[in-house]
Amino acid sequence: MDEKILVLIPCYNEEENIVNTVERLRSTCPEVDFLVINDCSTDGSAALLQSRGYPFLDLPVNLGIGGGVQCGYLYATRYGYDVTVQMDGDGQHDPAYLREVVQPVLNGECDMCIGSRFIKKEGFQTSFMRRVGIRFLSGLIHLLCGKRVLDVTSGFRATNARMTAYFAKHYATDYPEPEAILAACLAGYTVGEAPVIMQERQGGVSSISSFKSVYYMVKVSLALIIDRFSIHKTRGGKA
Amino acid sequence: MTPQLQFFMILGAVALLLIIFIFLKRGLMSVKYSLLWLGLAVGLVIFAMFPYVVYVLRDLLDMEMPVNLVFLLMFCFVLIVLLSLSIAISQLADKCKRLTQANAILEKRLRDLEEKQ
Repeated sequence: MDEKILVLIPCYNEEENIVNTVERLRSTCPEVDFLVINDCSTDGSAALLQSRGYPFLDLPVNLGIGGGVQCGYLYATRYGYDVTVQMDGDGQHDPAYLREVVQPVLNGECDMCIGSRFIKKEGFQTSFMRRVGIRFLSGLIHLLCGKRVLDVTSGFRATNARMTAYFAKHYATDYPEPEAILAACLAGYTVGEAPVIMQERQGGVSSISSFKSVYYMVKVSLALIIDRFSIHKTRGGKA
Repeated sequence: MTPQLQFFMILGAVALLLIIFIFLKRGLMSVKYSLLWLGLAVGLVIFAMFPYVVYVLRDLLDMEMPVNLVFLLMFCFVLIVLLSLSIAISQLADKCKRLTQANAILEKRLRDLEEKQ
């Protein structure tokens, strides 16, 4: 691949997983650049990244996943990457599927391609309650913009330069994944999905604990409905 | 309204006006955010000095007690101030996020430059 590809790996207190994730990425896809975004971790993540010599952004205050990933999109835009891939630092996303997620974007089939675990329904399918929640959000997004995306909370996604520049400007701060899909569709970008197989997280704690899930659903649903009214379609997505 | 109550109302309203003025003088509050509070203080001084205004408003809104009108207006005012504070906080949070991101990107550039040397 001649295109410059950047893999963003958000990292918040992932010292148990981050080295495995990065090493696996390096051995599977040696041709891509990667950038770890340390979101002001309170464990030894920063020192670990430094000692390993990995390229990383060190946020001085904790911004949450949205602010951190957006920082990566800013970086990718500034350094002229053709495709930017977001991949979780906890080992859930297998770099072996990086090509599957990137290829539709490279082919120009879509501006953003989401790695979806629900297309082939293989591998880790998450808990029943979460699947219900994801289905609901998927339905809501379908209702609000007419686009059906199955795995709306997947954080394994590739974006082309145009989409990346849009996200560098507009990206939700907390729980951004479903909102980013709707924002992209409403702003006139095309969104696609590619089947991937996901693993259960290897260690550490998920950013969405069970008691926060009600807050998550309410907040995301409301944010989606508000986005519907605040984002206006632009021709060809030139926002 | 008894003269006693009127006296204390005027006293309280003038005290509020003074406190805001002192905050402004010491630079504790920016003029932008003081405008709402100054408006409230001036309104209270007018209400205290000329209770007739309150009676007229009471008749216009057909309320039983003039004091309820004052409470209602105060409550509405506090709501407006709180809403404006939420807006201010949201804007500050966004600016803070942008600064953090710019800082992180600069910090990486600096680190890379130092390593090259």
